[in-house]
Amino acid sequence: MKLKNLEFLGPVFIIAGLLVSRYLFPNKITFFTEISIYTIYVMGNNILMGYMGYTSFGQPFYLSCGAYSAAIYLAYIGGNVFVAIFVAFLVGLLLSFILGPSLMRLKGSYFTLINASLCAIGVFMFERLLIDITNGNDGLWYRSNMHKTPLLDIRMPQNYFFFILIVLLAALYLYRKIDRSALGTVLKAASTNPRKMRFLGYNVFRIRWMAFTISVVFSTIAGALYSVNFGFVNPSLGENSRAIEVLLATLIGGIGTVYGPFFGALGFLGMKDFVSSFLSRWEFVVGIMTLIVLFKFNRGLWGMIQDAGSFLADTGRKFKNNSVKTAEK
Amino acid sequence: METWFTAVIYGLSTSGILFLVSLALSIGYGLMRIVNMEAMLYYSFGAYVTYSIVSMTGSFILGAIGATVIGGILGFVVETTLLRKVYHRNMMFTMVVTFSVFMIGIGVIQFIYGLDPKPLASPTSAIIRFMNVQIPLYRLIIIGLAVVAYILIQLLMNKTITGKALRAGIENRENVEGLGVNINRIFTTTFVIASAFAGLGGALNAPLVMVGPYMGFDMLLTAFITVILGGLGSIKGTMVAALILGQVVSVGGTIWAPLAFVGPFIVMFITILIRPTGLYGVKGTAFGFND
Amino acid sequence: MNQGNKLLNVEKLNVCYGKLAVVFDVSVNINAGEVVFLVGRNGAGKTTLLRTIAGFLQPASGEIEFNGKNLNKTGAYKTARMGLKYIHQDKQVFGDLTIRENLELSSYATKDYDWDPVFKMFPKLNTIIERKAGNLSGGEKQMLLIAMAMIGKPALVMLDEPTEGLAPHVIKDLAAIFKEISRTTTLFIVEQNLPLIASIADRVYCMKEGKVVNEITTREQISSMHFEQYL
Ligand SMILES: Nc1ncnc2c1ncn2[C@@H]1O[C@H](COP(=O)(O)OP(=O)(O)O)[C@@H](O)[C@H]1O
Ligand SMILES: [Mg+2]
Repeated sequence: MKLKNLEFLGPVFIIAGLLVSRYLFPNKITFFTEISIYTIYVMGNNILMGYMGYTSFGQPFYLSCGAYSAAIYLAYIGGNVFVAIFVAFLVGLLLSFILGPSLMRLKGSYFTLINASLCAIGVFMFERLLIDITNGNDGLWYRSNMHKTPLLDIRMPQNYFFFILIVLLAALYLYRKIDRSALGTVLKAASTNPRKMRFLGYNVFRIRWMAFTISVVFSTIAGALYSVNFGFVNPSLGENSRAIEVLLATLIGGIGTVYGPFFGALGFLGMKDFVSSFLSRWEFVVGIMTLIVLFKFNRGLWGMIQDAGSFLADTGRKFKNNSVKTAEK
Repeated sequence: METWFTAVIYGLSTSGILFLVSLALSIGYGLMRIVNMEAMLYYSFGAYVTYSIVSMTGSFILGAIGATVIGGILGFVVETTLLRKVYHRNMMFTMVVTFSVFMIGIGVIQFIYGLDPKPLASPTSAIIRFMNVQIPLYRLIIIGLAVVAYILIQLLMNKTITGKALRAGIENRENVEGLGVNINRIFTTTFVIASAFAGLGGALNAPLVMVGPYMGFDMLLTAFITVILGGLGSIKGTMVAALILGQVVSVGGTIWAPLAFVGPFIVMFITILIRPTGLYGVKGTAFGFND
Repeated sequence: MNQGNKLLNVEKLNVCYGKLAVVFDVSVNINAGEVVFLVGRNGAGKTTLLRTIAGFLQPASGEIEFNGKNLNKTGAYKTARMGLKYIHQDKQVFGDLTIRENLELSSYATKDYDWDPVFKMFPKLNTIIERKAGNLSGGEKQMLLIAMAMIGKPALVMLDEPTEGLAPHVIKDLAAIFKEISRTTTLFIVEQNLPLIASIADRVYCMKEGKVVNEITTREQISSMHFEQYL
């Protein structure tokens, strides 16, 4: 009974944790903002990887599409940040509307490679084809075009942090709802046995497409939030070589869980922050970490926390039982 | 007219390198049912080793030999220590594992050689004149070597008992073992040969591109497209696909520059839509559509 | 052939697929020169037992001894080289190779091989030797598989449901072939075909739900098909 209530408050705990940390380490505010945004990005990937069993080597593509759509809106069309984020949301819908029908029919390994190709095409597009709009490798700067927003001027980093927290809270509750809805269950079942699910009368394709849409939208929104945070975007955001980062973050957190993505983002970015202070060969570390997580640590951080939790609960129960027994004696 | 002819020859040399490099992917899948992303390391290391040897000795031929050897050695180490452990795991798992190894390799390259690309001069600047067209001899050498490699690997597959065991092993690994054949050793041998060819591909491509830590990435997708178009596990398919893609890149790029980059992807999308198993692929591979 | 020597000795063998145990404490021993059958319903664990003996699966516990050597940790290809051949249930030949190449392949692993006796046994194979093995009929495939196993002069051949799905007249031919082979080679055969068993078996092991539940040793019981109840 008690535990159930606590579970419902999970997202609130996460947000509260971020808030407290922000005041404990006031000069780390951008780091906490980044973790929050990255969590949303990892959530998008986790839907594919954890719930659907698809590994995409092209997540940076969706991220950079979101980032560029927000950036292009803010640089050329309007100044309202909320509208820019909404534009990224629409672009996400559009992408999944176009790509979903073919991608969701592919076998896993094709899915992986097609996404990797999309990623390469994305970089090519933002770097060269659309160079007149995107300034190519110089990147697109638009911070000065952003208008003041009512109530909370989110151009200020400390305010933007609060805004991100609100978005994250909403995202976490939405995610929790998806996980507990029929959609979450059906997705997991369909990833292991699509034929059976079809036999049971589910339209596996439609369900997958829906999940893919959610995943893409999470990624594009994360991209928009990311780009607005800096008031700047460049093509390196969408590079192929970064595709493994989000996979690693997802694995670190523990795949197929609601809170895994947060712990994944925390663990991954924390490690990156720590490692990059004395090592610049980032790829090397990412590769090694991924292997370690894959072979030795496959339940991830959240899995470990759950194990620890159930271990404590078990010992607690045993302790209680024991004391009851001793009392009976 | 001359432009087109040159484009076709350049395309053929691109095909040659594509063929050499893609073989490791094709065989990796055909034999071990593994999508071995790390294959591009043999290519990158091949290029770097060539660069090192050429800077030390000035001899490109030594460099190319060194690259071939390094490719083979790396292939041997990776196959015996890692790939063997993940044969039985699912495709996604092995893809992430081999991709991680690829990243680690890129890190190692950065560690040894730094981030800056290394330029390497073409070993010969000789030009062959043929009906008003000037063709660099080096391009012809690449084409020649690729043809030799193709013939060698076809002989290996069709004329030697190792090749027959290999083909049988592709069909059914267990049954070959049941005959008393040490199939692991045959797989390793073949994989090492394919990796050595990838190293050679790196050596040959080094003077044509910048030798940089990410050169493997640039090649990875094109190599994959080659293998998908050709049909996984089919060496003839890999060759035909390399021929097609070489022309798409070269002739296509002459028609409209961006095609040199986007062309292969377009080819891949079309392949997947029309014939997911590729030109010579067998049915029931991990690539294709969900049932 | 030294009749009566213990050739294969399986002691209290347990085999699992992951956590699922399918073979429990199975003991089987086969003497040189015998023709031993193994019967049991589908799913009884017969294939699992044979595959474990052949080295494709690792036993969870127990002992496998062949010719006095322990096979517990011996891989499949080494087991085959030691003269213990296993013919799969699925009758898979290498369809992409010709019959000749199939035979070459199985000669490849053994130093001591001889094609002539095999062609004497299956004259038909010699006449169609350049044909792709993939195009053969079920019966011909089984013949080729037996030929491939016999080429290296093994001491013991294990066959997994060799007559499954074959026409009656082919089964009759096979029975004759088994008789012929058994003069030089020990046979351990999983089979469902009662008349075949009755006509050539020396002994019959009966398996049920992963255990050997009966062993029939007398000719009377065999020819009266005493083991029918286990099928
Ligand atoms: N690869 C496998 N993984 C898990 N279980 C298996 C596997 N192969 C067989 N089994 C199970 O083991 C049991 C015995 O199978 P098998 O040895 O093939 O029986 P038989 O050959 O007597 O028909 C069956 O219940 C079957 O479902
Ligand atoms: Mg069976």
